[in-house]
Amino acid sequence: MTRILLKNRLDDCIVAWRSAGFSVLAPVKRSDLSRFDEVESSAEMALDLVLTERTIKDHFFPQTEPLIKYRIKKHEIDSQEMLPPDGKRVFFGVRPCDASGLAIDDPLFGWDYKDEYWFKRRDNAVIVTIACTASDDFCMCTSVKLAPDSAKGSDVLLRPLQGGNGWQVEALSDRGNALLEPISSILQDSTDAPAPTVSVPVRFDVDKVMEWLADPASFESHFWKEISLRCIGCGSCTFLCPTCHCFDIQDEGDTYTGIRRKNWDSCSFAMFTMHTSGHNPRNTQSTRWRQRIMHKFNYYRGKFGVNSCSGCGRCTRQCPVDMGITETLQAITNLPK
Amino acid sequence: MGLQEQYRSEAAGLLSSGAVKLVIGYSAGSTPDRRRPVFVRTPEEAERLVLDGACVANLSTYLVTEGLLSDGKSVALFLKPDGVRSVNILAAEAQVNPEQVVIFGFEIENGQVKPLEGRKASDFTPVIEAAKTAGLSPELQKESERLDQMSASERFEFWKEQFAKCIKCYACRQVCPMCYCRRCIVDVNQPQWVNTSSHTLGNFEWNIVRAFHLAGRCVACGGCDRSCPVNIPLRLINHRMAKEVLDAFDYYAGESTDQKPVLATFRQDDPETFIL
Amino acid sequence: MSVQFEPKIVAFVCTYCTYAGADLAGTSRMKYASNVRMVRLPCTGRISPMFILKALQKGADGVLVSGCHPGDCHFAQGNYHARRRWTVFRALLAFTGIPEQRIRFSWISAAEGAKFAELINSLTEDIRKLGPFEQYQELQKVIETQSTY
Repeated sequence: MTRILLKNRLDDCIVAWRSAGFSVLAPVKRSDLSRFDEVESSAEMALDLVLTERTIKDHFFPQTEPLIKYRIKKHEIDSQEMLPPDGKRVFFGVRPCDASGLAIDDPLFGWDYKDEYWFKRRDNAVIVTIACTASDDFCMCTSVKLAPDSAKGSDVLLRPLQGGNGWQVEALSDRGNALLEPISSILQDSTDAPAPTVSVPVRFDVDKVMEWLADPASFESHFWKEISLRCIGCGSCTFLCPTCHCFDIQDEGDTYTGIRRKNWDSCSFAMFTMHTSGHNPRNTQSTRWRQRIMHKFNYYRGKFGVNSCSGCGRCTRQCPVDMGITETLQAITNLPK
Repeated sequence: MGLQEQYRSEAAGLLSSGAVKLVIGYSAGSTPDRRRPVFVRTPEEAERLVLDGACVANLSTYLVTEGLLSDGKSVALFLKPDGVRSVNILAAEAQVNPEQVVIFGFEIENGQVKPLEGRKASDFTPVIEAAKTAGLSPELQKESERLDQMSASERFEFWKEQFAKCIKCYACRQVCPMCYCRRCIVDVNQPQWVNTSSHTLGNFEWNIVRAFHLAGRCVACGGCDRSCPVNIPLRLINHRMAKEVLDAFDYYAGESTDQKPVLATFRQDDPETFIL
Repeated sequence: MSVQFEPKIVAFVCTYCTYAGADLAGTSRMKYASNVRMVRLPCTGRISPMFILKALQKGADGVLVSGCHPGDCHFAQGNYHARRRWTVFRALLAFTGIPEQRIRFSWISAAEGAKFAELINSLTEDIRKLGPFEQYQELQKVIETQSTY
């Protein structure tokens, strides 16, 4: 016996959660772009998408975020911290790959100091994932040892029912359990079976990839130049990646007043490693591409024990020149021993 | 022999004779409907070249890759007329030596590829002249008109909504053959003209600046529009600028390798309808 | 009694014509609205559209760009280049919805002190009627508040 939520009761859930002080965010398609945004009714939700074009990372690590407002006065500097808003949020309809992205980034944002901006938002959010019954040619969760119903990063997992009329509900954490309290009367007991999750083909051998990357001889291999010839060095793959987290600090304002901001940055950009001396240790696209792959499947793993990839496939899906990491990792998989 | 096979064999020939060191073309992509840029260096690899109605990207953007042409050798490229115009503009702006560029020209009509005669940029002048006479795209024209008919504040709301999506990934800039500045204006911080942050104001400024820097240089290849990961209709702005320079100065970018840039020249009788 | 809105107007002017014209207005004791902040450049050919964008970014409600009449440029050709630039930039601003009445261009010679004074006065009144450039300033305000995400 499991608990289910019927689709036609979703609006009641939204009302219940809102009364409990949560704002509800869900996949929406607005202005010709799909992403997560606040909704007031289930009619606004776009739950049939394989996944949204933008990720939920935007809501925890925004593309631009004010940190401090400052004013330089005659003898002192006035500053005012600008922390994220307090509101509690439910993210409904997240794909397991996106949720795992949050869990993958948590150790980084808590590594040498606790990033209050990330954690304030994380602590105030509850993630409700929906297991995938459909995928496309770019999904690769299974290739990075995740799955269409992975629990990583999720507080409540919903499995679509065979009949398509609702979801089986499973709380995965204390936060998840707490979220189900306000809607416990809306949930029902049922023996309805969930639909099988989609079978996502494994596209590359991630163990072989990690082994090859760990070999010092691979660093100087001509492979990197060949595989990255068509990369144009934009930030699409990094900005749409659920796990990419590099940022730049910029002060914006006038001589005496301004706001210090944290903005997204990309290792693909030519100036990413530019020193003030003018020296740029990664001054070719191939060295930057190599860094991207090494970081995700070697350096990050070395530091935090997990690859910095959730297998969502957006890097390839959105790449203007049809690159993305899948092709590179397939090529490494196919390298002769 | 289809055009694809014909060009494959010619490309292989140019590579084996040493006439070119590299052929930049299209190959199959990660899904059946995708094509991706490919860099062919040996005659055997020429088999990877694909040419069909899905080959729409403007490959001339790779010509300004740092150091590519500095050894004096030639490079062959698969280009549509918009790509040839890009080569002309790059040559006119002294970024590329047109003698080093061999062109496999083609057009796409009703989803089918057709050959274009010629191997050097200057061979394609008649095609470009015909395109100029034919006028700018009628579909884009209609979309532009819809915007023109709105009030200024309606237009502002439209663009505000669109630019709010922008994440400053610079895919539009990186894919554009005309955006080759070693240090883009957004990357200049002494002084910081355009905010790097991607709040709506910063996005507005970035897109306005880029559209202005492309005025009279954009060939409407659609690269920026296709590459934008958040689906901003960039084609509308750049097309509008192309229309403006055509209407005001009878200027059509990329007509020849020595056509002077529109904003670097003037006529004493240039129109002035708005100056007090 | 409500406080009247005082528009902030930035004028980018060339040294040898419009600035001299403004100077003439001053020495002739012509009264003109004090809302204008003058930025002097050697020539309109030096004026980049970035300046106009920067003025708007910093809170200007209106911008005036002014220089020598065509044919009279102190540097012979600067204003011809400027004219082409203005034609294109103006079309771009209009297309993105920035009201055309807020960004104005003029030719004012060193002898046209009266024209300068009249233009500043009428421009100030026009912008006063249009009101503050709220649309742009609203975008600024969003920056200053908490991030929306």
